[in-house]
Amino acid sequence: MSISAQERLARIRINAFLYFRADWLARLIDIFGSAEEILKQDAQTLAREAQMNPSTAAHFLRDAFAINPEEELEKTEKYGGQILVPEDEQYPQALRDSKEPPIALYVLGKLPQNKACIGMVGTRKITAYGRRAANTLATGLAEAGAVIVSGLARGVDSECHAAAVRLHKPTVAVIGTGIGRCYPPENRELGRAILQYDGAIISELPFNKPPNAFHFPRRNRLIAALSEVVVVIEGEVKSGALITAKLALEMGKDVLAVPGPIDSPQSGGPNHLIQDGAGVVTSVKDIINYIPQPQLFNLQAPCEKEQGQMPQEGLTELEQKVLEQIGSGELSADQVVEALNLSVPEVAGALFELEVKGLLTCNAGLYAKNKF
Amino acid sequence: MLANVRSCALKGIDGFEVMTEVDIAPGLPTLSVVGLPDAEVKESKDRVSAAIRNSGFDFPMRRITINLSPAELRKSGTQFDLAMAVGILAASGEISANAIEKLKKLVFLGELALDGTLRPCAGILPMLISTKDKYTAVIPPDNLLEGKTSGANFITPRTLRDLINWLEGQISDETVTVSFVPPEEEDTQNLLDFSDVKGQAVAKRALEIAAAGGHNVLMIGLPGTGKSMLAKRFPGILPPLSDEEMLEITKIYSVCNLIGAARRLTRRPFRDPHHTVSDVALIGGGSTPKPGEVSLAHNGVLFLDEFAEFSRTTLEVLRQPLENGKVTISRAKETVTFPARFTLIAAMNPCPCGNLGSLHTPCTCTPMQIRRYQNKISGPLLDRIDLTVHLNPVAYGDWNKPAEGETSAQIRSRVMAARKIQQKRFAGTSTTANAFMTQKQIKKFCSLPDGADRILEAAMRKFGLSARSLDKVLKTARTIADLEGKENIENTHLIEVLQYRPLDRKGVPDL
Repeated sequence: MSISAQERLARIRINAFLYFRADWLARLIDIFGSAEEILKQDAQTLAREAQMNPSTAAHFLRDAFAINPEEELEKTEKYGGQILVPEDEQYPQALRDSKEPPIALYVLGKLPQNKACIGMVGTRKITAYGRRAANTLATGLAEAGAVIVSGLARGVDSECHAAAVRLHKPTVAVIGTGIGRCYPPENRELGRAILQYDGAIISELPFNKPPNAFHFPRRNRLIAALSEVVVVIEGEVKSGALITAKLALEMGKDVLAVPGPIDSPQSGGPNHLIQDGAGVVTSVKDIINYIPQPQLFNLQAPCEKEQGQMPQEGLTELEQKVLEQIGSGELSADQVVEALNLSVPEVAGALFELEVKGLLTCNAGLYAKNKF
Repeated sequence: MLANVRSCALKGIDGFEVMTEVDIAPGLPTLSVVGLPDAEVKESKDRVSAAIRNSGFDFPMRRITINLSPAELRKSGTQFDLAMAVGILAASGEISANAIEKLKKLVFLGELALDGTLRPCAGILPMLISTKDKYTAVIPPDNLLEGKTSGANFITPRTLRDLINWLEGQISDETVTVSFVPPEEEDTQNLLDFSDVKGQAVAKRALEIAAAGGHNVLMIGLPGTGKSMLAKRFPGILPPLSDEEMLEITKIYSVCNLIGAARRLTRRPFRDPHHTVSDVALIGGGSTPKPGEVSLAHNGVLFLDEFAEFSRTTLEVLRQPLENGKVTISRAKETVTFPARFTLIAAMNPCPCGNLGSLHTPCTCTPMQIRRYQNKISGPLLDRIDLTVHLNPVAYGDWNKPAEGETSAQIRSRVMAARKIQQKRFAGTSTTANAFMTQKQIKKFCSLPDGADRILEAAMRKFGLSARSLDKVLKTARTIADLEGKENIENTHLIEVLQYRPLDRKGVPDL
């Protein structure tokens, strides 16, 4: 089934009204037969036929006519993207099956086909522990051939996308702005890399829509809908990550949580989820075990190596010692100097090499391991 | 009758000769001062008339005109009181022709109290320096220290009466000269010592490098991690002042009338203005330009605590002195330049709440707040800061340990050895330390070792090191090499410098 070019433009118009849920917009289309037909009505008719508040109907029409659908299409195509409607073949089946499929979906890059999709969500205020967990799990999943779906936000989202990109594996970013924007701005490079390695950046918002607080819970439903399981890495008890988890549960998907220290506010969300019966994640395998059989495709469960120490070939004795000292904690250079009774230049050298090799990250002067 | 009496005024931190011409003519009793006097100079006339009367002389009830020549330069300060009083007495015939003849060899500087006592005033040192080869000076007794520093011939009468008696030859030179008792040298050297600071090995090392090469430092750390403690001990590891440097800073303190407060300026200044300081107070200025904090920190240390709390414009005005080692203040009438070559030690919290990176108290700031806070320090300003160190809280175990670190004296001896190498290297140029190397000198003295490409490439990729900041990495590495007495920069030096890299502005994972 396909739709006319005129209808597609009309869909892009009505999609611009952000104060309705997508299924309400779909209901309007049902009532009037097509989006084109809706736009031919005046506010009174619209309000009467669809039992809407007349002022809402007027607002709806105002927003729909405020954007230029030809321009939206042209800009999207200029970036090599497309605007999909549910009738299109490429439109993700997972979204079509969801309760609230977007009326129009702006897509840059390639949507995954026949691949297990894993949603990985979490806080923007990532801790060293969260970074380690996100990195380890996302790398393992990407290696196994799963596609990581996340939101391109700061913190956990960025870490998960970046882990996939480093392995040159596809990953899907569902963003809370139009695809013509980059938010947060520092993730521009990451966005580019996602597209370079056959990933996708998608959004249901008009091309140039700036970020707005209420866009994000809306985009979270898309992450939940696209994923087979949702993994919550870190997040406070009231956070976007937990909204995504709740939406996933409502859609009947499994929610998994990475347990964390009980005194860390960032682990409050996942610990809370575990109390409520969410699956506990301690390894990549735990996640893969939760993926329903038909969606497993050709996912390769990783061998046991990731459970042990990470590969540490090519490290000098000193680097090895420094790494051991840091362990699972966060240490400043001072503390390493003190503990190992070495000079500052020696420790500086070892920390530099370890950081360049990607084994450590320095944040506010504290060094922590990147992976378990 | 006409009398000419010599005095001095200030332009920036240099003195120039001013001829105080006094004319007394018949007419209604008035006193007018011309020759671009500032408000405090205009007020002189009331002090002068009272001082003359209270010293037992007659104040002429006629029309008095005082001209300060050269008339086109603005004059400020209270040092003209004495010259005016002597001029009026000479012009009205209160003193003898003999005494008037003596005036030609003298320069008069000093403020008068209403009872005729000489009071100290600002800027005596530079004024003495500008006239010391030609004249004997008359200065207030309280400015004795500056008189000694200048090397000029001078006398220090206590009152106007004493001065006139001396001019008349009624009292001897000795009676009008206060004997010089060198002020007791305060032994502050040992009060603040690096060995008091526990832990913080990295920060201490960074300060040692900064002292050795004249580099600026930014310390980032939680409240109570010892940022101020370290900064206050920093002047103690700097090499001692040379005579030339001492004279330079004493001149500046003299202009600001701060000699008394600073006692003897044999130690490097340490200035720590509060973060609410205004642009003008920091950089200098005013309608008659006066040196600001940056100039008071000349040849010493400017410590800016709570660096991110300073207003953005205040921080931006620091860029010129950090770049050129001087401040140029332009007014419609004049342009003055104050020296301002200081080492900047800045300290800030890692985030607005101050707890980012704390293991005990969670930080309550949003990532956006943290970014905004750290971004208050602009890129161009950060480019002028060679070393950034993060300070973390000292564990209780460390805090409880007796101090056993190196003393300031030990560190200072290494710093001085490194400075010596630099003096040799830069002999015959205006560069004084590695931090001030020009592009040409960097090329000449900072050749890269084999394998440096890999390090610098990794630093650019991982830490976002810009090509622009490469120069400061090289300069700092040169200093570390000097500390170790090495001929050439080695890879380990480069790597250590990268340890002191600036705030991570990327905030994104590596790709």
